[in-house]
Amino acid sequence: MNKLTTFALMTVLATSAFAHSPVDHTTPENGATITEVPPEISFNFANDIRLTRVDMLHQDHPSVRLDLGDQTSFDRVFTLPLEGMGKGTYRIEWRGLGSDGHAMQGEFSFTVE
Amino acid sequence: MPDIWEIAAIFAKLTLYFSVVGSTGLVIILAAFPNLVLPLCRRIKAKAVVLAGLAIFAAVFGFMLRGAALTGGADGMTDPEMLGLLWQTPVGDVLVYRVAGAALIISGMYIPRVGPRIALAGGTIALWSFAKIGHVPDLQQTGVRLLLLLHLMGIAFWIGILGPLRSLSRLPEHLDNAALLGHRFGQAAAVIVPVLILAGLLMAWLLLGDLRALLSTGYGQTLLIKLVLVGAILILAAANKLRFVPAMQAGDSKAARHLARSIEIETAVILVVLAATATLTSVLTLPN
Repeated sequence: MNKLTTFALMTVLATSAFAHSPVDHTTPENGATITEVPPEISFNFANDIRLTRVDMLHQDHPSVRLDLGDQTSFDRVFTLPLEGMGKGTYRIEWRGLGSDGHAMQGEFSFTVE
Repeated sequence: MPDIWEIAAIFAKLTLYFSVVGSTGLVIILAAFPNLVLPLCRRIKAKAVVLAGLAIFAAVFGFMLRGAALTGGADGMTDPEMLGLLWQTPVGDVLVYRVAGAALIISGMYIPRVGPRIALAGGTIALWSFAKIGHVPDLQQTGVRLLLLLHLMGIAFWIGILGPLRSLSRLPEHLDNAALLGHRFGQAAAVIVPVLILAGLLMAWLLLGDLRALLSTGYGQTLLIKLVLVGAILILAAANKLRFVPAMQAGDSKAARHLARSIEIETAVILVVLAATATLTSVLTLPN
């Protein structure tokens, strides 16, 4: 019975194709290849959200937490300054709270050549 | 796969479902069949108190886990800024409903005379919290929220009977009581269970919008797993009602042991159904 329960639970968990990430578009766009490191990145969300954490990951460097500054209210557009780390692929991971109380998360990446 | 915080959130929610529905169910059974469960009265009250205590813990822990989901680390669980943010959203409202409801259940178990009514009100408040947040209230229809409350009350009644019925079935000196309790529950369930299933199917249809989504999306597939398991529970329940309980009424004590075993299996499957529901309401988004 325990095995059956565990199996069923794992099946349930494995079907999870989540999540809440209603990001409309980002700048730079997800998957974009650009020639210079942008001075800032921006998010456009479909609904109001309060960003709670944004991390930047760049190939050889440890992850860096981006400063949200005074953007600490519910909004649809957020712009954060970016400190360049040279060429390579940048991955931006974000987390936030929807006004309905839903936690949201997502990521996008771009490459500087 | 969901991340560690989402998996933790599913387990916290599973605990919350089980404890809120379980404690409310026991309160309903105490109110509905006071004489039949008299030999177990003290034990049922103690269980309801423990489950309501667990509900408070699960509600608070689930709230803190939502804080962790906002920062992606354990620090979010105690981060005043994150928890303060959550407090302003419906997540804060339902925490109040759940803690207050469970506290009323606990106090109701110690207060003579009006206690059961207080506990019943507490259980209803705690169950109503589930209609205040999530996919169902997103439909923005009060009727659907009431449908969910009806669905949850039915489930509470059903889950509430399992423990007392199993305990009584295992006491040979109370075979008559167990048989009568099983019979009475069977009569009530003949009305309540179809209603709770119809309410569930109606909500599923309103949430999914399209039957094809049942196969093509993660949400639909999980819902399908839930439906299949509910079907299995119904078969078990039918066996209890049509076979074991009548045999117990005829004085067959072996049937009582079979019933107790059947209830244990039923409980295990119900736990998986609750786990599927916790997944549906925690990490899966609606198809549309």
